[in-house]
Amino acid sequence: MATSAPLPPVPGAHSSTDTVAAKLKRKLVSLIQPTVLLGPAGIWLFLLLVVPTLMILELSLIPGFRPGEPAGAYGLGNYTKIFELIDGQPIYLWVIARSVLFSVGSMLICLFLGFPVAYWIAIMAPKRWQNLLLVSFVLPLWTSSLLRSYAWITILRPTGVLNSLLGVFNLPPVDILNTQTAVMIGLAYNYLPYMVLILYSSLEKLDQRLLEAASDLGATPQQGFWKVTVPQTLPGIAAGCLLVFITNLGDFVVPELLGGASSMTMARLVYNQFLGATRNWGFGSGLSMVLILGVSIAIALLLKYGDQKAEDF
Amino acid sequence: MPPVHPSDSRFSGRSPRLSASRRRFLQLSGAALSGAVLTNCARNIGSGSTDASPASPASSSGGGDNTLHVYSWSAYIDDDLLKSFEQETGIKVVADIYDSNETMLAKIQAGGGKQYSIIYPSDYMVGQMAELNLLSPIDKERVPGYSDLLAQWKSPSYDVDNKDSIPYAWGTTGLVYNTEVLTKPVTDWSYLWDNKKQLSGKMTLLNDVREVMGFTLKSLGFSNSSKDPKQIEAAYKKLAQLKPAISSFTTDGWRDQIVVGDLLLSHAYSVDGIDAMASNPKLQYVIPSSGATVWTDTIVIPKAAPNVDAAYKWIAYTINPETAATVLARLKFATPNRKTLELLPKELRENPALIPPDAVLKKCEVLANVDTATDLYDRYWTQLTSG
Repeated sequence: MATSAPLPPVPGAHSSTDTVAAKLKRKLVSLIQPTVLLGPAGIWLFLLLVVPTLMILELSLIPGFRPGEPAGAYGLGNYTKIFELIDGQPIYLWVIARSVLFSVGSMLICLFLGFPVAYWIAIMAPKRWQNLLLVSFVLPLWTSSLLRSYAWITILRPTGVLNSLLGVFNLPPVDILNTQTAVMIGLAYNYLPYMVLILYSSLEKLDQRLLEAASDLGATPQQGFWKVTVPQTLPGIAAGCLLVFITNLGDFVVPELLGGASSMTMARLVYNQFLGATRNWGFGSGLSMVLILGVSIAIALLLKYGDQKAEDF
Repeated sequence: MPPVHPSDSRFSGRSPRLSASRRRFLQLSGAALSGAVLTNCARNIGSGSTDASPASPASSSGGGDNTLHVYSWSAYIDDDLLKSFEQETGIKVVADIYDSNETMLAKIQAGGGKQYSIIYPSDYMVGQMAELNLLSPIDKERVPGYSDLLAQWKSPSYDVDNKDSIPYAWGTTGLVYNTEVLTKPVTDWSYLWDNKKQLSGKMTLLNDVREVMGFTLKSLGFSNSSKDPKQIEAAYKKLAQLKPAISSFTTDGWRDQIVVGDLLLSHAYSVDGIDAMASNPKLQYVIPSSGATVWTDTIVIPKAAPNVDAAYKWIAYTINPETAATVLARLKFATPNRKTLELLPKELRENPALIPPDAVLKKCEVLANVDTATDLYDRYWTQLTSG
């Protein structure tokens, strides 16, 4: 880009046109340069994310569309079907509610388990161990989530690891495989590392001088925690919770493997519409759009909330 | 959905204290990452919707005269079979695997039909594919030993006169149970309802709407492929009574659990049931007396198939009694071919769990295409698995 460097001013009639040309050139370069770098990612996102999403949107507007059959007229049938009552029960709404319940439940478990761990690694653990501790916490992610869920089957089943352990201590066995509890345990286990990572990055920034000041001014450790630590890490908590919530909402494997007979979730329902016996791609697309919309709202909240809090510092 | 791997940048070269902007970047990238994963999920499922999407990475090599692309259940393909076929004919086989008929159909409709020369759909899927005009009629002249088919498979209800398909293997869908705990022999579907209390939390049904609704319809004395809304509703109501006792709806997950004794009874395909019996002699697979589903996996040639000659060579080779008997004996499938049957080992040929006596087989039924009633089945199924 050396040629585009501004020329030293030379007295003469044509010098002004040179600077105009140079200016134009610089402007052009400043326009093109980012496009060159962003281009591949942009094309990638456009072709593989935006276009397919629009295709799903189109399918979702054709009520009861099935591949291979003539498509009907456009309409909102796929969306109104979500509110349909069967035997007086809004079953599809129940499915959505269950997915949200699973997500919120495992999000809370992640928060309550993850916060103390992140706090300990970020503030109390020796500095030189921090990286190792973090890596060890993320280590389980190197195994496929499918295998990790199968491992939970081995642990939770009636004659599994958990009940053998309980037996050693003469405690009554529990039967939680194929229940909603099992789903929440499985989801929380899968997404805990993300929560810990995000909380850690937030807690590490914690200004400990404020805690010292609080204690100098007579605050008890509890007061210091609630009035100094928590407000300062709130953006991290919000980010962690939303990340876990969003990923849980679309999880397919865990409810399928650990959930038992009453575990229909959004992801499973969408799968059934596309690859089950009904092959109702229209309705499946409608459900997908609802899921995408829900997630988008959650991400929008995160962006807005995260921004404000970050500016407060 | 693949697990999300955090980017390495979070660890490598991490400065002791992260700047505020860096922290925000982490939060935002986390959010963006999860958003992308979710939309990817929807995308993966939806991508079959247009013909424009590339069918498969291997589609470019589909035209070669000496290559045959086979799309099959994993069970029917193994290295020995591929190698011996290649040695005999000089045709190289590329096999892709699917795990459900619907997955296969979605891929074929997305353009995969132009790539594959051989597919192994099950009975009802043959009907569906024929309706969608995806299959090319089979030239019986080019299928040696076609006349050796058993009478029941000469003109099956899913494909009259075997116009578009050649039956390859079959089996039933029944119950496998633990004879040590359930000492009274299980004979019919009604056993599930009669012994609900004992079986509670120790019984699984297949994760398949048609199989589950089908056997309930059978237990009520109806056809397993009923299109009558009243009968379907009656079956749903009967299933709803059983629901609290069902541990889960699973096609594969029951196997380990019934072998170690956590489960007492499972609704299962004969192949899996007989396989489980081999792992635990206390288990027994039965075909209930009011009749079960009998399913058939077939071989078809898609309409747009390349290399049709090689496809017929493949059919001739795989249904050849000697080849078929070796494969099916290992897999515990029943055969629709008289000569293959004669070649099966005696203990398999005379195993009523594998090949039921004619009186039992008469009551069994193929799951037929139910057209528009699928919506009704699906709604009740969602209700059943959501309640």
